[in-house]
Amino acid sequence: MLSAPIPSVEETRANQAFDALLGSLSRPGQIRKLPGAGEASIIEALLDRECRVFCADPTLMPQVLESGAMVADIPEADHVFLGTMQNAESLLSVSQGSDLYPDDGATVIVRTVLGAGPKVRLSGPGIQTHQDISISGLPNGFWQLRQDLIRYPMGFDLFFVDGDQVLGVPRSTKVEEL
Amino acid sequence: MSLSTLTKDWEPMSYGFLDASAKREIRRKMLKAVAVPGCQMPYASREVPMARGWGTGGLQVSLTLINPKTTVKVIDQGADDSVNAASIRRFLSRVSGAPTTLDTLDADLIQSRHRIPEEKLREDQVLVLQVPNPEPLRPVQPNMSIARQMHADADYGRMWLQLYEQIVRSGRVMQGASYPSMVNGRHVMTPSPIPRWDVPKLHMAKHLTILSAGREKRIHAVPPYTRVEPLVFDDVPYKVEEHGDLTCFRSGAKGFFMNEIPQDDGSSTYEISDSEYGVKTIKQAEGTETAFGESWYQDGEMS
Repeated sequence: MLSAPIPSVEETRANQAFDALLGSLSRPGQIRKLPGAGEASIIEALLDRECRVFCADPTLMPQVLESGAMVADIPEADHVFLGTMQNAESLLSVSQGSDLYPDDGATVIVRTVLGAGPKVRLSGPGIQTHQDISISGLPNGFWQLRQDLIRYPMGFDLFFVDGDQVLGVPRSTKVEEL
Repeated sequence: MSLSTLTKDWEPMSYGFLDASAKREIRRKMLKAVAVPGCQMPYASREVPMARGWGTGGLQVSLTLINPKTTVKVIDQGADDSVNAASIRRFLSRVSGAPTTLDTLDADLIQSRHRIPEEKLREDQVLVLQVPNPEPLRPVQPNMSIARQMHADADYGRMWLQLYEQIVRSGRVMQGASYPSMVNGRHVMTPSPIPRWDVPKLHMAKHLTILSAGREKRIHAVPPYTRVEPLVFDDVPYKVEEHGDLTCFRSGAKGFFMNEIPQDDGSSTYEISDSEYGVKTIKQAEGTETAFGESWYQDGEMS
């Protein structure tokens, strides 16, 4: 008889982090809890040597390099860690994939403050009617630029991280500034 | 940096069978599949100890999501006790230590072949469907590169033509299972070979559905509260199987999707396809306290 397998600490963390990411992306506007503060558990759950990563925050670099991912500029990166955004222009060159392969669109992770600041209204898949969220720490014109850039099904998917909280906004979500 | 920081401790087997890099790849693709509902995302599809075409796609998704607290239910054409379902359930529990259940209400993760349970799924539940052929355009365009271009262009004219020809030839849409459905108003997907009865259950559902084809190496998803509209003409309404009036000969359950059992005299009897719902109905009739969830269909009508 085999004994019941026990997940390692890393496996448990990656599993929990992915659970939070999947939950927050499939229900945009709902905040989920990562197993630890910051982007560390996201890197652990998603990145390996098949990925190309842009990292604006040098403190994340050691972990990204340890994962084996290749370091790239924003246009080539499939995972873009923008840290705290200073200006919205970083979004201009984020990879959006193609109509043939929408999955080539990047995953963008931004540090923000959730539950405070300007309100936006989200609607679309994953939201029954609409969901209002407060989010601050984003540069001026962020939402407008996102809307101008995304030509669904091309586009990029956003995760906003605040401590151990994460909130997902996939490209399918319509965002209205209130 | 030392050798011990670069290596991991020896393990007899990766937790949940799949190695960490396989899981990371499926995680990345699942996120993209959720972000673009109904769009088929390619993935590597690793080897699992089961032949391709027997649910390896669903199995890989389940193995990625599973942890020791996930209660798993596995069904095959509605039945918990078929060989395929029982084998997958035992495998999942052996490699993860996760508890298993037959009751839809107790499950966190439901892996299914070709049925959606009759009781409504909740927000916290995930449905994983096994998909033999993820490409709805294959009957009209066998070249998968051209089919991909057609999806990119939202060029579904031939799909409509196929349905039209069926109506002209046969007087009705002949598509019985895997009825092509428009997801979020953009991508036509196959909902896997679930009967027409089950397709409306995906429309604006509370649960997340992930559809994974292991042999074809593609994954697509229907997030909660997403429009899933079967392709129909305005003047020819969508029809589910006429099972609303049928009664299960074993349990007496009425108004659900049934398996037809041909009899020697040429007639048929019917047995409820969702086996655990039948078992619960029998238990209740015998006087055991049994909890039923709200069902999608009431008295044979979609509520």
